[in-house]
Amino acid sequence: MPLKINELNKPVHIAPMVVLRIAIGFLLCISTLRFIWLGWVDDHYIEPIFHFKYFGFEWISAAPPTLLYAIHGLMIVAALGVMIGYYYRISIALLLLAFTYTELIDIVYYLNHYYFVSIMLFMLLFAPAHRHFSVDAWRKPEIATTAIPTFWIFIFQFMLAIVYTYAGLAKINYTWLFEALPLKIWLPAADAIPIIGPLFTWKPMPYIFSWVGMVYDCTIVIWLLWSRTRPLAYLLVIIFHVLTGILFQIGVFPLVMIAATLLFFSERWHLRILTLLRRIFKLKIVSIANVGNPFRPIARPALIAAGLFFAFQLIFPWRYLCYPGNVFWTEEGYRFSWRVMLMEKAGTATFYVKDGETGREGVVVNSEFLNPHQEKQMAMQPDLILQFAHFLAEHYQAEGLTNPGVRAEVYVTLNAASSQLLIDPNRDLTQLRDGWQPKDWILPAP
Amino acid sequence: MKSRLPLHFVLAFLGIAVLHSCTENDDAGETGPFDRKAMLANFADELIIPAYADLQGKTEALLVSCEAFQAAPSAESLSIAQVTWVEAYGSWQYANAYNFGPAAESGLQKGLNEEIGTFPVSESKIDIALSTGVYNLNDFNRDARGLLAVEYLLFAPAENETSALAKFNNPVAGQLLVDAANNVHTRVQAVLTEWQAGYRDSFVNNNGTDVGSSTSKFYNEFVRSFEGLKNFKVGLPLGLRPGQTEAAPHLVEAYYSGQSKGMLALHMAAIEDIWFGRNKKGVDGLGFEDYLQTVVGGPALIEATKAQLEVVNNTLSALPTTPSLSQQVATQPELPTAVHTELQRQTRFFKSDMSSLLGLAITFSSGDGD
Repeated sequence: MPLKINELNKPVHIAPMVVLRIAIGFLLCISTLRFIWLGWVDDHYIEPIFHFKYFGFEWISAAPPTLLYAIHGLMIVAALGVMIGYYYRISIALLLLAFTYTELIDIVYYLNHYYFVSIMLFMLLFAPAHRHFSVDAWRKPEIATTAIPTFWIFIFQFMLAIVYTYAGLAKINYTWLFEALPLKIWLPAADAIPIIGPLFTWKPMPYIFSWVGMVYDCTIVIWLLWSRTRPLAYLLVIIFHVLTGILFQIGVFPLVMIAATLLFFSERWHLRILTLLRRIFKLKIVSIANVGNPFRPIARPALIAAGLFFAFQLIFPWRYLCYPGNVFWTEEGYRFSWRVMLMEKAGTATFYVKDGETGREGVVVNSEFLNPHQEKQMAMQPDLILQFAHFLAEHYQAEGLTNPGVRAEVYVTLNAASSQLLIDPNRDLTQLRDGWQPKDWILPAP
Repeated sequence: MKSRLPLHFVLAFLGIAVLHSCTENDDAGETGPFDRKAMLANFADELIIPAYADLQGKTEALLVSCEAFQAAPSAESLSIAQVTWVEAYGSWQYANAYNFGPAAESGLQKGLNEEIGTFPVSESKIDIALSTGVYNLNDFNRDARGLLAVEYLLFAPAENETSALAKFNNPVAGQLLVDAANNVHTRVQAVLTEWQAGYRDSFVNNNGTDVGSSTSKFYNEFVRSFEGLKNFKVGLPLGLRPGQTEAAPHLVEAYYSGQSKGMLALHMAAIEDIWFGRNKKGVDGLGFEDYLQTVVGGPALIEATKAQLEVVNNTLSALPTTPSLSQQVATQPELPTAVHTELQRQTRFFKSDMSSLLGLAITFSSGDGD
């Protein structure tokens, strides 16, 4: 592993960086267009009367509808700017800010791959991805170059390695490997998919998928790094992501991963891709020779920053070990840890609001306040149950209740087990605050 | 690193996996792939279309009796109209869980449930219509039309009277009655026609579990129907919503006819029939119960569901026949409250447990489990 600054500054061709930039820009453009076209700007951000916040980001709120659409429009423009490398730094910064902002509006839409995209955008913010095959390089030849420090390619590969490996490690648990859950639920449910559907009803299939999935995630980066196995590994990457894309509702994520994993290929491949793009779009051959343009090595501060960043990325997913209990049940430390499609979990949450003065307890109808997706996510995640409880207290206080207390009966089924109470049904949730400390009001896992 | 060794490991793992899956004890009842298409066909042919056909016939009979009453108003013809209303509304209990496809919201038209089944009706809106003679049964005032508006006209006593008959001295009342009944019948007929003219086949053939699939839509409406029963037919009248300080008797379903209890029981029976896959004659075909039989954890859920359904039914039969439900919620709420409590306990079996075990998509948004 090239960790010494001299090795990290070894010049490599910029082509892989450029292909990544073009792919991410393109995919985010498509993804945002799809998002708007599906009506999700309304559905996710405008219509709900209540949003669940990320811890520490409670100050983020949904902008007024016009502004929200403007932000999404901005995302499309910025993504295009990234793709063609036009005012790249501004474009990538705007894209990063806009994308991350929309993600922060409501935590119920948290997806590991949105987190991954934010990370990619963040790293691209600093990367010299625009210095070749871009409008900026064409306008300002003084920045154009074809050689960049290997550091830039390395950090993206390392990030991908973290994502895959942690996803794989997360699959090393008894339920996944020896009970083939949740695939034993999800595969038969997919038996109506054309052609391959019937395969999923074959009894060993969930076991095969579980084991292959785990081994794939844990080792794919190794196969990608080794040039002899790389082509076959990449074929597996495509198959894996296409399959998961067919099986699960995960949007453009498969394409993002297929594109990002290209980064493991040699510059030859990327030069071929760029040549192909030139041909398809009939682009003038931009001068490849970078006569006189300085090679910009990275300095110690960049190395330290990257070190800190990766230290965080490596350590943060392990914080679940600081909490007692089953992380799938309590979800303490579950997010931001690359636990991808790892469990089938659902709950039904009934909230009781008691008037502090009269003692009269009422039963809340969740759908008055939450859309089906919000209700589903809330009902299985204790920190969201708590947020909703606080909202209910405020809401009913405004409606005239005195000093309302809120308790909740929440029954959760995890990987086809009989549903059990998730939290103490008698605890007044308005007296509790979310924080880093373990939640003693979560009941033991079944 | 030799490339052969890891391959051997992988094959070994796979071999173990295959062996393990073949030799493990079947979770009691995992009987192999479930034929969702057959289940959908059973739903369509034995439950849905017969329900709409019956409703079509009963709402037609209602219309006829309303027309007869308008032509010759008398206590007797009113009584006949009232009886046909009860039968039509009872038939509706078996058709109100299918608010998708032909019965779904479309453009400005809301789903069939809202168009013909909204309650409570707005007495003031209907009274204004009666006094001005101005009304539009196709505008946004869904609480001024439908089966419950017909109920209001047929059952709500005239001022200072015990019978509704005197209201019909006003010729507008008779016309509104007929128009409202006709409006209901027309809407029902439209839905039935669409089911019979091709939707049935597309419903049956769309046999995945993704969000646009028939099973997913059917399931979501089934749950909505159940929760509607619990929240609006029992919870709200009992005053169980936070912020309600007392019971709200006028919010029961079928308030004016006093048929609330009977309708509640019919609705619950219809829900149960759907879950079992049972038609109105009692023939038990493929339903969610059978579907659950084939999945991991299914048999346990079936037992839990059946047990709780029995408890729910016991609380329903424990409701005294008199006084009417609207009075019970105010004067003797313990028994209706017990119904609500047990319905609440049933919810997870129908809702999160079932959708989770069956792997049914609830919403379009990506990423459950990601």
